[in-house]
Amino acid sequence: MSMAIQDASAPAASKKINWYPYILIAPTFVTLIVVSLVPFIYAVYLSLHEARYGVVKDFVWFDNYIQLLTEPAFWNAMYVSGLFVLIAVPVQFMLGLGGALILNRGVAGRSLIVPLLFIPAMMAPVVVGLLWKIMLAGSWGVLSYNVVERFNIVTESSIFGSPHYALYALIFIDIWQWTPFMMLAFFAGLQALPPGPYRAASVDGAGPLRTFFKLTLPLMAPLLFIIGLLRIIDAFKVFDTIFILTRGGPGTSTESLSILAYKMTFDFWDIGHASALAVVVWIIFFIFCNIFYQVAKKKLNAF
Amino acid sequence: MNKASTREKTLWTILAVFYACIVLFPVIWLVTMVFKPADVMFARPTVFFFTPTLANFDYIIAQGFLGNMLTSLLLGLASTLMVILIGTPAAYAFARFEMKAKDDLFLFILATRMAPPVCLVIPFYLIYSNLGLLDTFFGLTLAYMTFNLSFYVWVLRSFCRDLPVELEEAAALEGWSKLQIFWKIIFPLLRNGIVATSVLCFIFAWNEFLFAFMLGGKSVQTLPVAIPKLITAQGVRWGEVAVVAVIALAPVLAVVVLLQRHIVRGLTMGAVKG
Repeated sequence: MSMAIQDASAPAASKKINWYPYILIAPTFVTLIVVSLVPFIYAVYLSLHEARYGVVKDFVWFDNYIQLLTEPAFWNAMYVSGLFVLIAVPVQFMLGLGGALILNRGVAGRSLIVPLLFIPAMMAPVVVGLLWKIMLAGSWGVLSYNVVERFNIVTESSIFGSPHYALYALIFIDIWQWTPFMMLAFFAGLQALPPGPYRAASVDGAGPLRTFFKLTLPLMAPLLFIIGLLRIIDAFKVFDTIFILTRGGPGTSTESLSILAYKMTFDFWDIGHASALAVVVWIIFFIFCNIFYQVAKKKLNAF
Repeated sequence: MNKASTREKTLWTILAVFYACIVLFPVIWLVTMVFKPADVMFARPTVFFFTPTLANFDYIIAQGFLGNMLTSLLLGLASTLMVILIGTPAAYAFARFEMKAKDDLFLFILATRMAPPVCLVIPFYLIYSNLGLLDTFFGLTLAYMTFNLSFYVWVLRSFCRDLPVELEEAAALEGWSKLQIFWKIIFPLLRNGIVATSVLCFIFAWNEFLFAFMLGGKSVQTLPVAIPKLITAQGVRWGEVAVVAVIALAPVLAVVVLLQRHIVRGLTMGAVKG
C-alpha cells in the first residue's frame, strides 16, 4: 500500500499520513453518519425485533424477514415497482435517445426549447401529482373529460380509481416527467462526442444508420448505461406522485415498494416488518448504487 | 456528422416545438387556472377563453399560505447554507487528495444519496419522536442533510476536478498556508460550481415532500405538504390550489432559465457534464 500522499501543499518527501484531507471531510462524515448510518443501523436493529406501535419487544432473529418474503403484499409490491420500472424506463430511454438525436441534427431555436424541457424534471412531485389530477381525474379532468366527450367512452369514474388502469396512468405520468430530461442528458452526451471519427465515417461513405450503430452507439454506450441505471434507481423508489394520486390504491394495484413500506409503518404501525422491508430495499439500492459507481468511474472517467 | 438540409431542419424544428407544447400543456393550463373565475374552472365544455380575475389570491393570503411559504423558504435556505459550510471542504478534499479507502468513503456518500427516502423516514420518525425533534425546524433541517449534503459533496467534487491544480501548487511554493490556499484560491474559483450546486440543493429542499410530511407538523409545515391538504378537502377550491402550485413552481422556473447548463450535471450526479 502506498503511503505517499502527493498533493499540492504537502512536501513530496513526507511519509507521514497527511491528516489535512481527513480534517476537511470530517464534518461531512460526522453529519452523514448521524443522518444516514445511524438510521440504517437502527432499522436493522428494529427489523430483528418484534416491534409494533413503537414498542420494541423480543429479539426474533430473522422472523420479520421470513414473514416478509412469504407475504403476498411484498411480492405484489415487487411486481408493481418492477412493472413500473420495466415499462417507464425503456420508453423514456428510447424516446429520449430519439429526441436527443433530433436535437443534435439541428433544431432552430434550440436554446429556447432546451430550458423548457427541463421543467418537468425539476418540478415538485406534489405539483406533478396535482397537475395530472387536474388533467385526468374523473369525468371533470381537462383531458379525461374531453376524451370522454369526443370518443364517447363511458367512464364516469376516474382512471386513478380503476384497478386495471391506475398503474398505467402513473407510469404515463412518469414517462411525461422524465423523457424530456433523458433527452437533454443524452443530447449533452452527443454534443461531447469527438468530431474526428464522424469525418472519417463520412469520407468512407457510411450511411446515417451505419454511422449510428457502428459509431454513435458504441461511443455513447457507457453514458447510456449510466443514465439508464440512474433512472431505474429513481423509478424504483417512486413514492410522492403515487402517494398524492392513488395512495397505492385502488386495493393494492399501485402499491409500490415505497408505498408498502410507508403503509406498514404509518398505517399499521408494524415497525418490525416495515424495517425488514426497508433493509431489503436498502440492500437492493446499494447494489445498484455500486454498479453505477463502478461503471461511471471506469467507463466515463467521471469520478 | 453531415449537415442537415434546411428541409430536414424545418421538419425537426416543427416536431420539437410540437413536443415541447405537449410536455408543457399541463403546466400552461395550471398557470391559466390561477386567473380563472371559479364558475368556469371545470366548465363543460371546457372553457379556453375567459376574463382573468385575481380573486383566487385573496383566499390564499387569508388562509395563511404565506406562513407555509416562509417555512419552505427558511428551511430551504437554512439547509442549503449548512450544506455549503459542511460540504465544500469535503468536496475539495475528495477532488484533490489521496485518502485511505477513498473509494469506500465516496461510495458511502453516493449510497446515502440514492437510498429511498421512505426507508430513512421510518427510523427517522422513531428516533425523532424519542428525542422530541418531530415538528421542529432543526429536525427537518438535519433530515434534509441526508439527500442534500451527499448530493452537494458528490457534484461539487466534479466541479472541483475541473479546476487546474497549478495555481495551488504555485501558491504552496510561495509558502501560502493551506487555509489561505482554500480561501483565496479554491473558494473564488469554485464560486460558479458552489452557486449551481447549492441552488439545486435549495430546489430539492423546496420540493421535498415525504420528510416534511412525516417529520413536520403544525408548526413546521412546508408548501408541498400544505398543497395536498387543499385537494383532499371537500369542495376543492381549484383556483386557490393553482395559485399555491404556481408559487411552488416559481423558483423551479427561475432555476431552469438560469442554470440550464448545470442541471444535467446535477441530476446525473456529475456523471454527464452539461
